[in-house]
Amino acid sequence: MNRLVEWIEHRSGVFGAVKRSMDRAIPSRSRWGGIWPSMIGFTFAVQVITGIAMWMYYSPSAQTAWESVYYLEYQVAGGWLLRALHHYVAQVMVALLGLYVVWMIVVGGYRKPREMVFWAAIVTGLVGLALLLTGDLLSWGQNSFWATQVRVKFLTLVPLLGNDLFKLAAGGPSFGHHTLTRFFALHAGVFSGIFLALLLVQRSLLRRAEDLEVADGDGGVPYWPNQAIRHTAGWVIVVLVTGLLVGRHALIGEPSAVSQRQSMGVGLGAPADPADAYAAARPEWAFLGLYELAHIFPGDAMPVLGVSWKFVPIFVVPGVLVFFFLVVPFIGKGRVGHVFNVVTTAVLLMATVWLSMKTLAADRANIGHQEALAAGAEAADRAVELAQAPAGIPPSGALTLMRTDPKTQGPKLFQQHCASCHNYLDAAGKGIRAEEPSAPNLHGFSSEAWIKGLLDPKQVAGPNYFGNTAFKDDEMVHYVRSTLKELLDDEELKETFPKMVRALAAESERNPGEEADEETVFLFEDFGCTDCHKFHGSGDLGSAPDLTGYGSHAWLTGMIGNPAHERFYGDENDRMPAYAESADKPAENILTAEQIEMLVRWLRGEWHEARGK
Amino acid sequence: MANPAQSAVRGEKTSSPPERRRGFLAKCIAISLGLLAYAAPVAAGLVALLNPWRQKSEAGRVLRMASLDTLPDDGTPQKFPVVMDRVDAWNRFPNEPVGAVFLRRTEGGVQALNIVCPHAGCFVSFDTQQQQFYCPCHGAHFAPDGTRLDANSPSPRDLDTLEVEIRNDSEIWVKYENYRTGIPQKVAEA
Repeated sequence: MNRLVEWIEHRSGVFGAVKRSMDRAIPSRSRWGGIWPSMIGFTFAVQVITGIAMWMYYSPSAQTAWESVYYLEYQVAGGWLLRALHHYVAQVMVALLGLYVVWMIVVGGYRKPREMVFWAAIVTGLVGLALLLTGDLLSWGQNSFWATQVRVKFLTLVPLLGNDLFKLAAGGPSFGHHTLTRFFALHAGVFSGIFLALLLVQRSLLRRAEDLEVADGDGGVPYWPNQAIRHTAGWVIVVLVTGLLVGRHALIGEPSAVSQRQSMGVGLGAPADPADAYAAARPEWAFLGLYELAHIFPGDAMPVLGVSWKFVPIFVVPGVLVFFFLVVPFIGKGRVGHVFNVVTTAVLLMATVWLSMKTLAADRANIGHQEALAAGAEAADRAVELAQAPAGIPPSGALTLMRTDPKTQGPKLFQQHCASCHNYLDAAGKGIRAEEPSAPNLHGFSSEAWIKGLLDPKQVAGPNYFGNTAFKDDEMVHYVRSTLKELLDDEELKETFPKMVRALAAESERNPGEEADEETVFLFEDFGCTDCHKFHGSGDLGSAPDLTGYGSHAWLTGMIGNPAHERFYGDENDRMPAYAESADKPAENILTAEQIEMLVRWLRGEWHEARGK
Repeated sequence: MANPAQSAVRGEKTSSPPERRRGFLAKCIAISLGLLAYAAPVAAGLVALLNPWRQKSEAGRVLRMASLDTLPDDGTPQKFPVVMDRVDAWNRFPNEPVGAVFLRRTEGGVQALNIVCPHAGCFVSFDTQQQQFYCPCHGAHFAPDGTRLDANSPSPRDLDTLEVEIRNDSEIWVKYENYRTGIPQKVAEA
């Protein structure tokens, strides 16, 4: 064993190098103040470990980025913890870099011989922000997509070069596959590589400065083991803080910003949809100060220059700040300069915190923002629910799941096209409310309960049925209020009435197997339905909607397509538009066949639900 | 140089036993804290890395392959694609060709052979002139019933037969399995 060690030591010198490194003298005043670089190095090491492990699963393309992250988060053992660690340690890393710079300014750690150490820390911090920005996009969720796109589009503010710079950053004229491949290469390759190189430069600069200080009469103490304990304790603190951030939702019961279901990890937003802007998109906390600052400046052009005022907060202010920090060592040579540095830094720090808090407070008070957040969380949950369904994620990606999901698309389409007249409200009054209802409430349309209400003399002219419509004094209302009431005085008919209601509900084909037979048709004749309505072989079209297949998929598709068709309201159709009148010219229709399909399936309650819900 | 911390490290010749013990304790603490800090990321990374061991193959299902009258009476093998849902990590591809089998009539019924050569996993083809299977990768030959024909065959075993079931007198159902290649034993991929 000893001979093997000697053999290796003779040829590599590795053990000697480690021992020299451990026994190296460091300035005796280092102590706890000297652990910053070590903590930052530790966070980066964690990022490399967790990042490479995630790399084994990540697939950067618009159809696979979200999907592969979903797979890691929900299907791979330990995947959620990996993502959570990488995400939160990144935040801790950027925070430590900021605090390190501030600490150096406060204690004068930027002064001779440590100027270059200070500069290295500043550049490392900037690369850390670049890592944060490029990493944020990779999950390709709604927030990561929209928040990143907004920030990258700021490049177009640059005079003359703006558009070219944007294309260069995005990899093309718009966000897509090429943006993900580019950002992934920048994140995992370029910026990580630069960051590592900067850490090594910083370390050698720091050692040089420490050697100079020790030689300058400080005396020095050995690094090993007492200072090493402080360093490793710093690492443990990083892990503990990260653990608190990861588990805070579970620990203090605070609901996750992304979703309730995903309260343990970092969560995963709904898959990015370039056609559906995410209204609650916000940058990460480290950029919030600039985000708020940008709000103060108007978007119009500055006089003479012709460049937008937004150029100032987004490029000039950060540029000036970086310049200030770079010249801090020169300003701070004397006592007055040092005080100036400390005061300026404190003011800047407070301003940043104040601006960030202002944004957060404004968002908390903004009901629209809160609603957008809630809608985003709901969509995120739904995306995961659909991805976990037996049908799985199609090759075209999870966005297809969302776009063909009646539960997701139905309410949006209803809100846009139907809710000017129709309500969609459950018994508790929750749902979509029309501003001026002039048509029936479609919640549960053609279900047994809905039909029972329609045939109830007290309800038929109420707000859920004909009350708000042009037909509130029409034949159907009269029939329910007088004819049907009289018919129900008959014992036999009273007994068969529920059967008739059930038979009509069965026409919607929600429960297969209940088909109308000759006896059912007689039943409808007994109640006089077929005097106006057609029902299978009995009655005629033209005077009232066809009850054959009432509320079925085909019936609803036809009704939405053209309510003035003789099968539905014919000439008596009041105001409902024909959403797909021409079958042969789909381009002329208000709604596409796919949109009507989404609406119909949503109205019929046909969508995937996870078991146990 | 009279710093106590320093003498605790370097002072193996000079320091007293309690100081040496304190130095040893400090070293243990430093190493334990370092290991503790790295435990979570390394553990999470390793568990995720080894996740493939938890995953199972989707094969082993009984599939309807063909109708009996599509097979020639003379026992010549016919190739049929195997179509089933294919799961690839997060994606599910419905009804995709995932492989193929050769079916042939025998005296007792129908024999099914997996198209995969047991040597290195290439697909064999049937040469109707020579009436034998041929693997293009390393030149193995097999008889129509799957037995090896070469004196020194590259293949460690005969072509893999699959379980066949005739339903309703005419439907050929096959239990589709893939077997590990390169070994003499027939072991299903799991």
